[in-house]
Amino acid sequence: MVNPFALSLENVEKYFPPAASGWRALLHPFSGLTVPALRGISLQVKQGEVLALVGANGAGKSTLLRILTTLLIPTRGRAQVCGFDVAREPAKVRLQIGYHTGGDACFYSRLTARENLLLFAGLNNISGAEASRRIAELTSPFGLGDLLDRQARTLSTGNIHRLGLARAMLHRPSVLILDEPTRSLDPLAAAEFRRFLLRSIVGVHGTTMIFASHTLAEVEQLAGRIAVLDGGRLIACDTLASVKAAARAETLEGSLEILTRGAPRETQ
Amino acid sequence: MSRRPQSGSTHRKLLLLFLRDLAVARSYRGAFVIEFFQALLGSASFYFLSRFVESPTLQKALPSGSNYFSFALVGIAFFDYLSTALVTFDSSLQEARQNGTLENLLVTQTSLPVILAGSSLYPFVLMSLRTAIYLGWGAVLFGFPLQGVNWLGAVLVLAASILAFSGLGILSASYLLIFKRGNPVNWAILGVSSVVGGMMYPVSVLPAWLQWVARLVPVTYSMEGMRAAILGHASLWELFPSIAVLLLFAAILLPISFAIFSWALRRTKITGTLTHF
Repeated sequence: MVNPFALSLENVEKYFPPAASGWRALLHPFSGLTVPALRGISLQVKQGEVLALVGANGAGKSTLLRILTTLLIPTRGRAQVCGFDVAREPAKVRLQIGYHTGGDACFYSRLTARENLLLFAGLNNISGAEASRRIAELTSPFGLGDLLDRQARTLSTGNIHRLGLARAMLHRPSVLILDEPTRSLDPLAAAEFRRFLLRSIVGVHGTTMIFASHTLAEVEQLAGRIAVLDGGRLIACDTLASVKAAARAETLEGSLEILTRGAPRETQ
Repeated sequence: MSRRPQSGSTHRKLLLLFLRDLAVARSYRGAFVIEFFQALLGSASFYFLSRFVESPTLQKALPSGSNYFSFALVGIAFFDYLSTALVTFDSSLQEARQNGTLENLLVTQTSLPVILAGSSLYPFVLMSLRTAIYLGWGAVLFGFPLQGVNWLGAVLVLAASILAFSGLGILSASYLLIFKRGNPVNWAILGVSSVVGGMMYPVSVLPAWLQWVARLVPVTYSMEGMRAAILGHASLWELFPSIAVLLLFAAILLPISFAIFSWALRRTKITGTLTHF
């Protein structure tokens, strides 16, 4: 039976140990998991859908994305990607996902763009000839064709992000996971990157996309649905129009203010 | 829409990781030249040190036919394999954390043990090149004896040593995964091995109780085997005890270190500290 959901989370909770340093860290290296980061998150994302995660810093967006990438193990609950459990079947999950974060440094700076892509293609079990073919196929619409033989350290931040996206798409993932993809871009480069996402990814490959962002214009432009996180809780997950209607606000910004003002907050 | 994982060839991934490190190293061209001449300076300093310390008492403790220069040169050149094994897994992790590639590596279809193994290949190959240059300078300029060396035996002792040392290196990387810095595993292993392992002097000059401790560290057997193959022209049969003990160390250390490493990796995914440093 075909799984209709690309992503499925059932009552996912994530707790971290308290931050410790100095003697406390030395004496208690294995503290209990007492600091909540995600609490009772349940949501589904259909194949081909684009979901944006919004919320203040520390709301749990990156934690949620890292659970979906298998970089974190949930404390409780179940998270699945294309029907595969992130905790029990991480290798199968990693085959389904492409992951890119908005950081500037995510490549081997002394290698060329092509060498970087060939390395990651190989680590994703793509043969050399096939990797070269896919790199040519992907980098042309990404506008990276002429830059492939330049060292990564010589590329602009915008081009590094395009390269990161190309890397995430190399093995043709079913689900694209982006953590603040335009975080380090200037406004013009960010707008161009969004246009590029719309033109080349969303709705073109049928790829499901989940991304975290603080840029509300980006969220409105790209997302079919919006998940609002606050203090580790999911307080809304709906279309832009429905989120605004539920908050009785004119704008997404106003909706977030209203929705997060009423939500119970974590006190530590 | 969902697909099954393919079994990618591990040796191809190991080669890719080796080529990555080679390409990065090639971009710093001057480093190779410096390495070449650094080995000359190292060989020269051991040669002059040996002329200073050689005495009839010392000569009696050395393997027959060798002098202190060749004894120390083999000791220092091959002890560095232990240092390399101990730091290479740590530094691969640290580098990936610092250059921001760790998360991207971990979401590929390649397991972390394969990534670490692949990342250790270049340092070991570089180490071998460096050792060859050390011995080469020693032979050309300072009379290091290369006639009658059992090269096959030396390679077998080296391979068994690398396997045994890698078990210790993976233990060290496990510590780093959990505690991030200040690695006492490295410090303890290197410290004890350098005192009792026979790097600069024969184990026979140690007090009896330290000779007993020396039997518990793999580098002792590595040093004995290497010197027997290179300086003592020992046959494969004569090298067999050293190789067998090193393989026994590997057979014990590798499964234990992999189990501890797996536990440490899972722990960091629970605590969210995988990419912290």
